[in-house]
Amino acid sequence: MASLPKPNNQQTKFLEKQWWLGFKAGTNLAEASLVKAYTVMAPTNYSTELNYKRYDSFVKTGSQATLEATFYYKGISFSAQPTYRHTRFTYFNTFRWTNSEDISQTLELRYDQEQKIDYADFPLFIKYDMLRNKLRPYVQIGIIYSLLINANKAVTISGTDYASGGVNKFTQPGLIVGAKDLFENYWSLAGGLGLDYNLGNVRIVLEASYLKGMSNITNTKNRFGNDRLSGIADVQDDIKLNSIMISAGVLFPMRFLSSNFKTLDR
Amino acid sequence: MRYFYFILLCAFAWGCANDADPEADKASFTRIYDNNKFGSVIYPIDIKQTSDGGYLILGGRKLTTSNFSGIYLLKTDALGAYVEEQELDEDLVAPIGPLMFLNDGYYFFCMTSVGLQTQLIRVNPNGTIDSQVSVGNSYPAAAAQEGNNFLLLSYNNVDKQSVISVVTPAGAVQTSKAFSIGAGDAVEEPIINHFLRTGRQLPFLVGRIPGGLFYFNGFFNYTLSLSFTNLAADEPQGILQGQQDDGGISQAVPLDGGKFALARFNFGDNYFLPAATINSSGISSSVDLGGNVLPELVPNAAVKILRTTINGRKVVLYGSDTNGKQIVILGYDEATGSLMGSKYLGFSNPYELAAILPTSDGGLAVCGRTYVAGRFGRICLFKLSSQEVESAFKGF
Repeated sequence: MASLPKPNNQQTKFLEKQWWLGFKAGTNLAEASLVKAYTVMAPTNYSTELNYKRYDSFVKTGSQATLEATFYYKGISFSAQPTYRHTRFTYFNTFRWTNSEDISQTLELRYDQEQKIDYADFPLFIKYDMLRNKLRPYVQIGIIYSLLINANKAVTISGTDYASGGVNKFTQPGLIVGAKDLFENYWSLAGGLGLDYNLGNVRIVLEASYLKGMSNITNTKNRFGNDRLSGIADVQDDIKLNSIMISAGVLFPMRFLSSNFKTLDR
Repeated sequence: MRYFYFILLCAFAWGCANDADPEADKASFTRIYDNNKFGSVIYPIDIKQTSDGGYLILGGRKLTTSNFSGIYLLKTDALGAYVEEQELDEDLVAPIGPLMFLNDGYYFFCMTSVGLQTQLIRVNPNGTIDSQVSVGNSYPAAAAQEGNNFLLLSYNNVDKQSVISVVTPAGAVQTSKAFSIGAGDAVEEPIINHFLRTGRQLPFLVGRIPGGLFYFNGFFNYTLSLSFTNLAADEPQGILQGQQDDGGISQAVPLDGGKFALARFNFGDNYFLPAATINSSGISSSVDLGGNVLPELVPNAAVKILRTTINGRKVVLYGSDTNGKQIVILGYDEATGSLMGSKYLGFSNPYELAAILPTSDGGLAVCGRTYVAGRFGRICLFKLSSQEVESAFKGF
């Protein structure tokens, strides 16, 4: 990589500080981390654990859009990045009823649930630029407060009925239920890696962050509050939400020495 | 300064914490008590809260050795989690509610499968039998607690009589009076179908106006009637007649001032009368009582009525089953009879009401039956917090 021309003292001093404004967008993958399992079904002759939900990790993609305001000072940046985030994760549970004396009298059911939650994230990041060239890799850590905006849940019931004279595999029409009341705001800690590329007066950003959920996202006082879900034996577990967020975007400098000064060339 | 940031971070974390709340978990929950037996059929009859905050549920179960239902008892903890179940010996069948709490035990009536003799069963809070005594009457149909004794309405299939008795906790019949249902098999047929659960469940009732006459909702003179008796005279003092088994009273609870909270049915239609005046002497007809018509209920719906206090107001709660396969609870102001709110429970799978119970935390326990996967009859329990109850029945 070609080295940049050395700035004079005035420029160097000026370049110690900068404000950046811009926007980013990208995709995210979520993982529900179980804190405590809850069930509507209370088994009387089999293990409760058989009814526990099984969560998929980092499978469903969501999306996010971010506005970024960053103050840079001598290689360290302080960044506020309000984000609208649409996140998804899935889980399923299975049930089986059978007649031990006549195995053909068996019914198997599987409930597949897709949870979609929208949050307004309010993160504060501290970034450290590892290099100060045109290509500037950086690391960042942050704290994020996520404000619940909306949530819904899609449930698909499928199964196999062996008792009706054959092997009848079926899928019932899906059910989509508003589920905002089941969730709460939460907070996370984040760490990430990124790459800035200075392109004229514009900075191109590509970054990936891991958000570690630090508080329960479930509304504990309302976990059974949705009759449509509890009616089909679904109840919200206590879970923490971890996410991987990948974003790309552009940032614009807010401070210029003069109209033809190439701020980003440092 | 770094301590300041640390304290700020701790305060932030604490403010955002949303930890599991055991009190909230007890206050509001939904449970379905499932077993994985394909042929298992269980239905609830009544529920009581035990001293540990848990619940004891009396139910029935399908037997392969008898045409009558067997007896099933389920104990849960305060969170509604399963603790243990009891499937009583198949010699005992046809259990009826309510579960009656007296002298630290829970009592209910049932009968023997062979002799059809009524038994008084006492169980402990875990549902294990403490004692069993034979009362003697056949076909127990309805029961109630009356002070330190029990009232029993039974059907005498030999003499074709409705029999109302006062039974002591020791199983002795203190007082008894029998009334003819009328001659002929046609009158008896719906009664037997009721006991076999092959036909409609009839709204048999028994009780006493506080300090006054006894009453029973049973067959008298060919008709399902609400009859008032002093247990001395051979004829009832008053009769509120139905129309054979096609019309009559579905539920009756005495209120203050000689009034009743009533529900009645007539050829499939259902009516609620939150503050009805009944003539407990002479003969009258249930059809003349009028009432609020409830077309959302299943035909000839079973109805439960609970007197309780919500937000400092005396309220009468009516619970029943809707055509939409949900449980509905309607609340009426006891003084005025005006509607104060409603609450619907259950969705997706069919739900049917068995009992409503006020709980020690000011909430409600609603016990019913659901059909898991649309086919397996299982007991369900809805626990509503006091906030949910107050919100649902706050009035308009």
